[in-house]
Amino acid sequence: MDQQADMAEGRPGSVKDIEVDRAALDQSIAEFVVQNPDYYSRSFHKIHDTTSGIPLTFNWTAALLGPLWAGARGIWGFFWGFLILEIIAWVQIGRGTWGELGADSLAQAERQAARAQEFLQRAAEATAAGEDPSRFETLAGNLTRAAERSRDAAEAAAADATFILMTGLGLLLVLKLVQGIWGNIAYEKQYSRWRVTPDQEVSGIQTKNIVLAVVLMLIVAPLTIYRFTIENIPDFLTAFPADPDHYSTTARWLEGQIDAAALAGSGAFDGVVLVVRQVLDAISLALIGTPWPVVMMVIFVVAWRSAGPRVAIFTAAALAYIAFLGYWEIAMETVALVGAAVVLCVVIGIPLGIWFGKSERAYRFAEPVLDLMQTLPAFVYLIPIIAFFGTGNPPGILATIIFGMPPVIRLTALGMRGVPDSIKEAALAFGASRRQVLKDVELPLALPSIMTGVNQTILMCLSMVVIISLIGGGGLGKVILEALQFAAKGPGLLGGFAILFVAMVIDRIVQGAFRRADQK
Amino acid sequence: MTEAVVELSNVWKVFGQQEAETMQAAKSTGLTKAEALDQFGTVIGVRDASFSVARGEIFCIMGLSGSGKSTLVRHVNRLIEPSAGTIKVLGRDVGAMNAAQLREMRAKHIGMVFQHMALMPHRSVRDNVAYPLEVRGVPKSKRWAVSDHALGLVDLVGYEDRLPKELSGGMQQRVGIARALASDPEILLMDEPFSALDPLIRLQLQDQFKSLVRDLNKSTLFITHDLDEAIRIGHRIAIMKDGVIVQIGTPEQIVTEPADDYVREFVQGISRLKLVKAHTIMEAASPERLQALNGALRIDGESDLDALIDLSVDTENPIIITENGKDVGIITKTTLLRGIQGGR
Repeated sequence: MDQQADMAEGRPGSVKDIEVDRAALDQSIAEFVVQNPDYYSRSFHKIHDTTSGIPLTFNWTAALLGPLWAGARGIWGFFWGFLILEIIAWVQIGRGTWGELGADSLAQAERQAARAQEFLQRAAEATAAGEDPSRFETLAGNLTRAAERSRDAAEAAAADATFILMTGLGLLLVLKLVQGIWGNIAYEKQYSRWRVTPDQEVSGIQTKNIVLAVVLMLIVAPLTIYRFTIENIPDFLTAFPADPDHYSTTARWLEGQIDAAALAGSGAFDGVVLVVRQVLDAISLALIGTPWPVVMMVIFVVAWRSAGPRVAIFTAAALAYIAFLGYWEIAMETVALVGAAVVLCVVIGIPLGIWFGKSERAYRFAEPVLDLMQTLPAFVYLIPIIAFFGTGNPPGILATIIFGMPPVIRLTALGMRGVPDSIKEAALAFGASRRQVLKDVELPLALPSIMTGVNQTILMCLSMVVIISLIGGGGLGKVILEALQFAAKGPGLLGGFAILFVAMVIDRIVQGAFRRADQK
Repeated sequence: MTEAVVELSNVWKVFGQQEAETMQAAKSTGLTKAEALDQFGTVIGVRDASFSVARGEIFCIMGLSGSGKSTLVRHVNRLIEPSAGTIKVLGRDVGAMNAAQLREMRAKHIGMVFQHMALMPHRSVRDNVAYPLEVRGVPKSKRWAVSDHALGLVDLVGYEDRLPKELSGGMQQRVGIARALASDPEILLMDEPFSALDPLIRLQLQDQFKSLVRDLNKSTLFITHDLDEAIRIGHRIAIMKDGVIVQIGTPEQIVTEPADDYVREFVQGISRLKLVKAHTIMEAASPERLQALNGALRIDGESDLDALIDLSVDTENPIIITENGKDVGIITKTTLLRGIQGGR
């Protein structure tokens, strides 16, 4: 019965009849603002009651103190935005007031007038000596006119000063007005956030925040205004007083370390290079050693089988372009470079990905390394690679691997993790060993993700293969690099298209093959 | 009942770091599940569970989600290691097996069916069913023959070369059952096999499953959250709550003598017509009374209320209950109606 009565009483006739409970809201607002609750309750109510547009309340404290008020109340977005805007206004005011605008023009006018005076004197001396003074008189006349113009410029600049001052004052006024109106709105937004996460939002005025705001303002505002207002300022304000010795000693020390490391580990590094070279040579031999009609035929048929007749026709055209322009061997070298890099990426990356997919801990350790491998610009790690592995194609492949391996690792790990536990459990329940679970369940189910990873790796390796020409890598990248060095437009463009076609053919074939595998 | 095929004694499972401490506290002070989580950060999954499943029996474990029933059943094939207690399957201690013996037991003696089918999506129906044999290295020809036979048992002839995703939910679960039957195991573990199916299919599969298990003489541990299903399928039912087995009994025992309020609440909505037997509600009658009712209708004590109602419609007299041909008691209309209500 009680429940029914409650229902009858509590059931609203319509939205209009619902009363706003001001008391509870006021208490919460007071808890948030701490200081000056009455004013903020009223302002917030006004904001809450607004039906359209910008709620018109004016916060005098916010207007007058500006960023300081915002900082004290912990509205840091407001603080930084209006601090910067106010500094701009103050710089204008400062320039208008103290900036000696036109001072340099005036000084020039003085110099020019003095020179004119000098020439007039020479003219007088010439006249006294019975020579023709007209040359000096002309020069003096010119200089006097120039001085006149400089004086005009100085006056104009001085007149500008008033204008700049007025602009600055106007801007400041507008900013104050905006801050006065916007202050409560921004503060009410902060209040709404505070209601959801009271621990993360600042409430009330806190001494810590006042100190922080004052310190920030003292560091930022006076120096900036000083810098833009005064013409001649001490050097240490514009350039960081760095000691050049720091740089050279650190660089020298680092170089010594790298040399020592390269020497110490030369056996291991040579071994790596040897392995990479073996893989590269095998692929190169297959692509370049085999007669070109055979290789072309195979590429064409593969394109047809995996991606259909349209891609096959495009492949034929691309191959014709490459062959007729004499890029065949160089292009095959590029394909061999990419192929070797991809093979090594896959051979190393998939087992790593499987491991990272199974072990959360290993993945946590590997993740930053993978991020670094992808974010580090290639130019940065080319130098250590030269130091440790020398120059030429194998080190180039190593650089390509650094750039290209993360996707296959990541996506393998992702795929392994996406395998439903229930299916793994079922396999275990029927007596499968861990190896069998990997072979029969995890790898087949992760395969689409792994293939996406391989595809991405191929594309990344392709984009890297031009850059490795910087450390002596061959192939089409070398053609482009040479063209770049001599600003040779023709060869550069032809080589560029050759690379584009190689990349497109590989991409089309690989994507077509993976799409077919997906559909199965 | 005959020999115990599966036997669990005093099995505990505590998830978390401080297993031993939690068990110690739970044994000595009766620490509840919430307190364990609060004090030790551990979750008590199974608490001192003991039961045995006889050959040919369907043993249901009924409980709501989170009651520990799925955890409990995974101890039987050691997908989950117990914190304490012993588990014997076909007389052998599962805990003492090494990895190879365990795999052998899983592959040969235990078939398992899962709530979400857990079929391998990249393998044909036939290869899914054959997986338990493949794991053991059975040659392909033999595997396929056995697999086709198992699919025949669940009426899926003609679907051998399809992929699981081409089949409906009910058919997929029949593939799951066929897979569990493929290596002809003595024991079936059914982890809520029919929960994800729609009601009509569920009823069908329950009946099909029941007769299949009877024909093949399998011992079954059947997990469900649905008491109706447990009563329909199970010879005996264990009711679990918060990791504890609250009551074990036949469906009739559970319905007529619930062990506590928790079970009582569960059985409230259950129809008693097919469950309660005549001898449970009959009144004792003196030989004189029986003599006086000589012309009355007779029915065996093992008949259910449904049959009693059919009989009662034709007569005004009480019905005489017999056991092994002897008259043992009577049921009047009042007794019958009260019996249907639940003995109030």
